[in-house]
This record gives sequence, C-alpha cells and structure tokens, in this order.
Amino acid sequence: MIVEGPVLPLDRANVDTDQITPGRYLVGMNTDNLAAIALSGVPGAAELLAAHPDAAVLVARENFGCGSSREHAVWALLQRGIRAVVATSFGRIFEENAYNNGLVPVTIGESDLDALMHAQTLRIDVERGTIAVPAREDSPEREIAFELDPLRREYLAGGFLAFVERQIPDVRAWEAAHSTP
Amino acid sequence: MSERGTYFDKVWDRRVVQRLPGDSALLFADRVVLYELLGAKAALDIEERFGGRLYDPQRIVAVTDHIAPAKDGDSAQQAQALRLWARRNGVRMYDIGEGGICHVVVGERGYVTPGTTVCCSDSHTCTLGAFGAIALGAGTTAIEGAMLGGALVVKRPKVMRVQVNGRLASGATAKDLALKVSQMLGFRGGVGYVLEYAGEAIEALTMEQRLTLCNMAIEAGATTGIIAADATTYDYLAAAGVDVTPDDALRADADARYDATLEIDASALGPMISWGTNPGESVPIDDAVPADADPAALAYMGLTAGQKLRGLAIDQAFIGSCTNARLSDLRAAAEVFRGRHVSVPTIVTPGSERVRRAAEREGLHEVFQDAGALWTHSTCGACCGLSMGVLAPQMRCASSSNRNFPGRMGEGGRVHLAAPVVVAASAVLGRLATADELEPALTEVHA
Repeated sequence: MIVEGPVLPLDRANVDTDQITPGRYLVGMNTDNLAAIALSGVPGAAELLAAHPDAAVLVARENFGCGSSREHAVWALLQRGIRAVVATSFGRIFEENAYNNGLVPVTIGESDLDALMHAQTLRIDVERGTIAVPAREDSPEREIAFELDPLRREYLAGGFLAFVERQIPDVRAWEAAHSTP
Repeated sequence: MSERGTYFDKVWDRRVVQRLPGDSALLFADRVVLYELLGAKAALDIEERFGGRLYDPQRIVAVTDHIAPAKDGDSAQQAQALRLWARRNGVRMYDIGEGGICHVVVGERGYVTPGTTVCCSDSHTCTLGAFGAIALGAGTTAIEGAMLGGALVVKRPKVMRVQVNGRLASGATAKDLALKVSQMLGFRGGVGYVLEYAGEAIEALTMEQRLTLCNMAIEAGATTGIIAADATTYDYLAAAGVDVTPDDALRADADARYDATLEIDASALGPMISWGTNPGESVPIDDAVPADADPAALAYMGLTAGQKLRGLAIDQAFIGSCTNARLSDLRAAAEVFRGRHVSVPTIVTPGSERVRRAAEREGLHEVFQDAGALWTHSTCGACCGLSMGVLAPQMRCASSSNRNFPGRMGEGGRVHLAAPVVVAASAVLGRLATADELEPALTEVHA
C-alpha cells in the first residue's frame, strides 16, 4: 500500500478530536457527510484547507487526536481525502480508530517532523515503513523509516471485525473456563 | 513486561484470552456500555453486517445521556435507534427519567467489579477504573468488536504509579488532585501509560472521590486510570447490592516494578483552576497564568501571561458531568450555596436520576433553587455543549467538568475547570473564587 500526495501541514500540538470534528456534527445517524467539517474546530484550518485542497497526508505535532473517542474524527479526515497522518505521537483511541478504518497513523521523531512539515508532497510506503522526503534546496532526497503496530497494521485493509469474529470460539472457551460477573 | 506485578498487570493477566503480536492481547470484555450519541451507530452496524449477532446481550448496558432528552429530530433518531435496538436484542437500557450519565449509572448500579474489564465508546470510561477494573474508552469499531466477539484488542500499556502521600488538605478535593496530576504530567505526559493511583491519600478516598480522580486519567493522555480494590470498593459494591467476595490475591506485589512514578504530597494541595485549553494547563488558584503559556491558548481564553486567575469575572457556572455530579459533590456545592445567591447564570445537573432523587430527599434541590441556580434532570448537558447551557463566543464559564478544549461547551466559549466548591463560590461572587472569600451566609447571620 502506497500513500502519495500533497501535504496538509498542521503545525500544532494537541489537536483534539473535538477540534477535528466538533461535537455538534455527531448528532444524527448519517456519518457520510463529514468531509466539509473536517478540522473545522481548529483555528485557522479553513484557510489551510483551502490552500491545500487535494491534501492526502496530514502532518501534525504531538498528541494528535487526543481527547474524545469519536471515530468521526477518522471518518471526517478520510472523507476529506486524507489517507495518512504523520505526527510525533497520537491519542490512543484515535490511533486505534485510524487503523480500524484504513487511515495510516505514522509516528516519527521530532527531528524528522520539521522536514515533513515543509514538504509539498510525500510518498509513504506502508509495507516497507518508509516516507520519501523530496529534495529541497538545502537537503537531498531521503527516506525516513517508521514502524506500524505489527498487529494493527493488518486491520488497515478493513479486517478488524473479521479478526474479532474469528476469535469468538476462543473467547467462549475462555469464558467457560473462567469466573466472570 | 508481564512480570511487573502491578495491580494493573494482575487484572490484565486475569482477562487475557489470547496474547497477540506487538505486546497486544485479546482481553475478555465483561461489560460493554453504549449511549445514544456514539453508540447507536455501532449497534445498528452490528445488526446490518452481522445479522444482529451479539456475544452476550446481558453484558451490554445502554443509556441516553449526551443529548437527553432529545433536542431535535437528529438527536431523537439516535436515541430512538438505540432504544429500539436494545428492545429487539434484550439489552438493558436506562432511558431518560431512570438513567443519567453512563459512567455514573454504570458505577452506582454495580456493573463494574474488581478484576474485570469495561468498555464504552466514550473516552471518560476511565472513570470506572476506580473499581479496580480495566476501564477502556474505545471507538465505534472497537465497541462493535466487543459486542460481536465479547473481547477487546488492547496494546499493553506501561504502568505509571501515581503515588499520593499524606492526606488531602482540608481545602482540597479529589478534583484538585485530578487537576494537579494533569498539570504535573501535562496533556500528553500519560500517553502510553495506565495511571495506577496508590498511597495513603488514595486509600483514604471514598469511592466517589476515586471516580472523580480516575475520570481525568484520559486528560493526561493515559490509556486509563486504576485504583486497587480494597474494603472501600467492596463496601460500596455491597451497598449497591452486588455480592462480590473480596479477593486477596488481586493486589500489586510488594516489589512491583513500575515503568514510571509520579509522587504527589496531598497535604500540600489546595484549590486548582485551569487557565488554558487543555486540563494540563491548570494551576493553584492563587497562581498567575504561567509566563511561558502557549500564546494560542491565551488568545483563545482572552488572558495574558502573568495575569491573576482569582477574581477573573465569569459569565456562567456549571456543576455537573461524569467528573463531579455525584451526591457528595452536590452536598459540598450546596453547603456553599446555602443562604447565598448566585450572581451569574448557574446550572446544577446531577450525575444520574438516582443521584437527583437522593439529592432531593435531602432537600439539596431547594438549596440550589433558593440560591437562584437552575436544577436540572440528569444528562451530560452543558459539559459537551450539545443541548443546553451552551456558551457564546468569549463567554467565560467556571465548570466542574473535565474538558476545557476550544469549543467544547460552545464555539468560542472559555471554560475554567475546578472543583464543585470552587465553581459554587465563583457562581456566588461572579468571579473565580473560593468559599473562604464569601460573606457569612444569611442563615448563619440569622442564627
């Protein structure tokens, strides 16, 4: 799986899921209409999105997706065309939600992040775990390595519930052998 | 890593169905909690994709809380979808008039017991770690998995011991301790960790105080919080009508190894207040806004570095939420309101309908209403800014809730998190304040 495309440089830390998808957009049963409201709670994001209409890779600072568990945050980014998020760390629930929906959560070090924040486009090779950073005036083209969770990467193609479904006999056997409330 | 011997590890080891790659495991899901806003879709998805197969409907509990009662057609659809689904599937649902905020309802009714797991599509599920259980907030898909397969896929976190020494000072509450932990760790200092609270001060906390403390573990980015079950836990559960035999083997080893330790002196704590746009941006109420404060947070909050917080004028006060709306919270707030009057619009929202009725039996609702506060039914209400008590841009609110994120209680609204007694005193004076600033109450004068 390759994710390649323009960068959305969101140079902020602690972007919580209330900012990615404000609570008022969670009301109702339709979750297919989130593209227009993605990141709408982030100050200045409207101008940023307008300047990067075809962005496919969101680059942000630490603790991206912290806060509320709403999976809408992941759905909204995907519906907006974002296929991968690169940050120095993620909120746990957001990261799980990303894997479960095929949004690639890439964690890299602080020193590499600056280069990515200034890139126009990025190419992420999900299988190999590498990001190709295009050459700039002061630096040649290079690759940054990253690691995905060895278990959850298998869910990127949409296999989480199928995986859980396959475990049901084991879960039932475990329950039969253990004391539960 | 499995040989650390922490309390968390003891619970974890008891719930591992299967070890998985990458230090993850399949954990048995003893309880799954759903609510209308983020649960209805999960419920219907399972029906659509798996023919409604549930691992065990008796392990699932449903409530309406975030927008309860419904405020419009869209929110009514969500509540009704969950309601009808629960009925079709034999799932126990606590609806308006009976239920309340999910974490409060599930706790007070004894659904969570030591050594088990509970999950819910809400990040404040960590509240329930107060029962000595692994309590996990999760997304829609993970909750669907728990309903379908009776299990959760969880990456084993590191364990941080939050060692709280001494006893809480008389002017401090569990909320001040929670905000202190947030301040010390910062908004992301707990990422990758579970916070295991221990020490003399923790042992002395009531269950309601423990629930308040664990509620804010997520606000440091932690996977969850947990407190070892003890006599306090088992007594509480017995009073809730749950017969659980205390389990002496369920305890941290004396030589347990923690991945990190945070030490706090409870006796040095006083009232805390948040100044910024995440709970880590909190300080003792007599401190000023930090000199190195994030300029974006200052701009949003309409503050400047070095500015004093005590005395800052507010426009609204809110006492409620899964953090601080249990009976003891309401009693403490009522003591401040008794014989006094609010000077800004003030909303008091009990954590559950059980809490509301207990409070009313004690006459607390009369105290709030005599003071000019609005006493409501139980709901998440103003905390999530979705149905009532919403702030307008630049309105400043003292709140006993847990999140001061930009836009949380209304677009542009400014939230200062504090203990219920601090919020109550601030409501009376119309500015951030503590109860010791108040003139003697009218009743005291008459006496």
